Amino acid sequence: MIRRRSRRQAGGDAQAILETALVIPLMLLLISNFIGLMVQVSVQEQLDSAVSLAAASRFQASEEAHDPAGSQCCPDPRCCARAADATSLTTAGLPTGCRYAAETFYGTMPVERFLIWHDRPLCLTGGDSAAVSGPSHDGIPYARSPSNSHVSCDIGSTDADGTVHRGFLDHALNPPFGLYVVTCDATATLDFSRTPLAWGVFWSPALHAHAESVPPPFRQ
Amino acid sequence: MEGDERVKRWRGRARGQATLEFAFAAPLFLLCLLGTIDAALWAVQTSAAVSAVEEGARVAASAVNGPLAPSPPNARDITSSVESQLKNALFATSVRPWPRSCPATPGDVEALFGPRVVAVCVHENQPPACTTPPAGVQPPYPLYCADSPTVSVQVIGFMASLVPPSFGLGWRGGEIPLDIGATTHTLRFAP
Repeated sequence: MIRRRSRRQAGGDAQAILETALVIPLMLLLISNFIGLMVQVSVQEQLDSAVSLAAASRFQASEEAHDPAGSQCCPDPRCCARAADATSLTTAGLPTGCRYAAETFYGTMPVERFLIWHDRPLCLTGGDSAAVSGPSHDGIPYARSPSNSHVSCDIGSTDADGTVHRGFLDHALNPPFGLYVVTCDATATLDFSRTPLAWGVFWSPALHAHAESVPPPFRQ
Repeated sequence: MEGDERVKRWRGRARGQATLEFAFAAPLFLLCLLGTIDAALWAVQTSAAVSAVEEGARVAASAVNGPLAPSPPNARDITSSVESQLKNALFATSVRPWPRSCPATPGDVEALFGPRVVAVCVHENQPPACTTPPAGVQPPYPLYCADSPTVSVQVIGFMASLVPPSFGLGWRGGEIPLDIGATTHTLRFAP
């Protein structure tokens, strides 16, 4: 009789330990994934904000302004031990609005080690919303555009000789002719394996932000 | 009679075990619960800060009184507009305007104002003044002298947290750092 009871009690203890061993990691897993989701939402919001401000800042420079020789912007502070060695985007010969957009994006988006950027050309011209996909939809890079930028903007400009480079033609605005606007895009992968949540968060979401800015009346 | 005593003893032991289990589980459960609420609060407050900073940067970058306005928008007005947006969104955290050029770390804000304070800072950076270029160098000289000024809007400091030491991120515990900023070019046509 006594032996049976002590056996029952030992069985109960083992069951309690097993339950705890199952429940606690599961609970921690749920919580770390919840925190991961909150981080994703927050980073997405900051990305949207940075891209939106970048698109708007293009209009702070005139259509005709171009960067002189030697111009560059946005050194990546994560690159090197010395700031002077950091990779920069060379913007000489590009519309000044491209540099403004890049400076705004890099000045607004915080430096996060857990973001893997999908770099693209900084400055594009001639996209069209009526085209299905490819370069005629996304636009083509300016001849001197650096290709390693975290943000990519489709903007219009006018060269010194009067040659006009169109921006992105959005047919949803001002139908049926459309309206030339500025678009900016940025894409990054949120890599949780570089965070303290790595032990419990196994997904790496791709974040994308797109913003469109309509020229203010004095630029139309 | 002896059997009854044994049953009583067994019941007492079971009750003791349940109390011990509860003593282990309850703090852990509370920590997890508060941690989850903390994460949600952090996301909501950060979101509010991002919106406030973006709005502040847009206003600061625009020509409030028209494109030919000679003066920039008043930094105090922008600071107070960001401040009023944040006051409604931050939990148990006070918002103050930062008196000097923007602080580098949340620790700077804590050193001046104490714990659980975030500071709002608006700062305009002027480009270098243009000068006559040396022979053989094309204007504008020096580089970037023809740029429009840039304006930085920053919300920085430590927010209140429910779980000390807030996942190890806080400086003194019970705090989460916040550092949201935006830098953009401003619109100025006037000389």
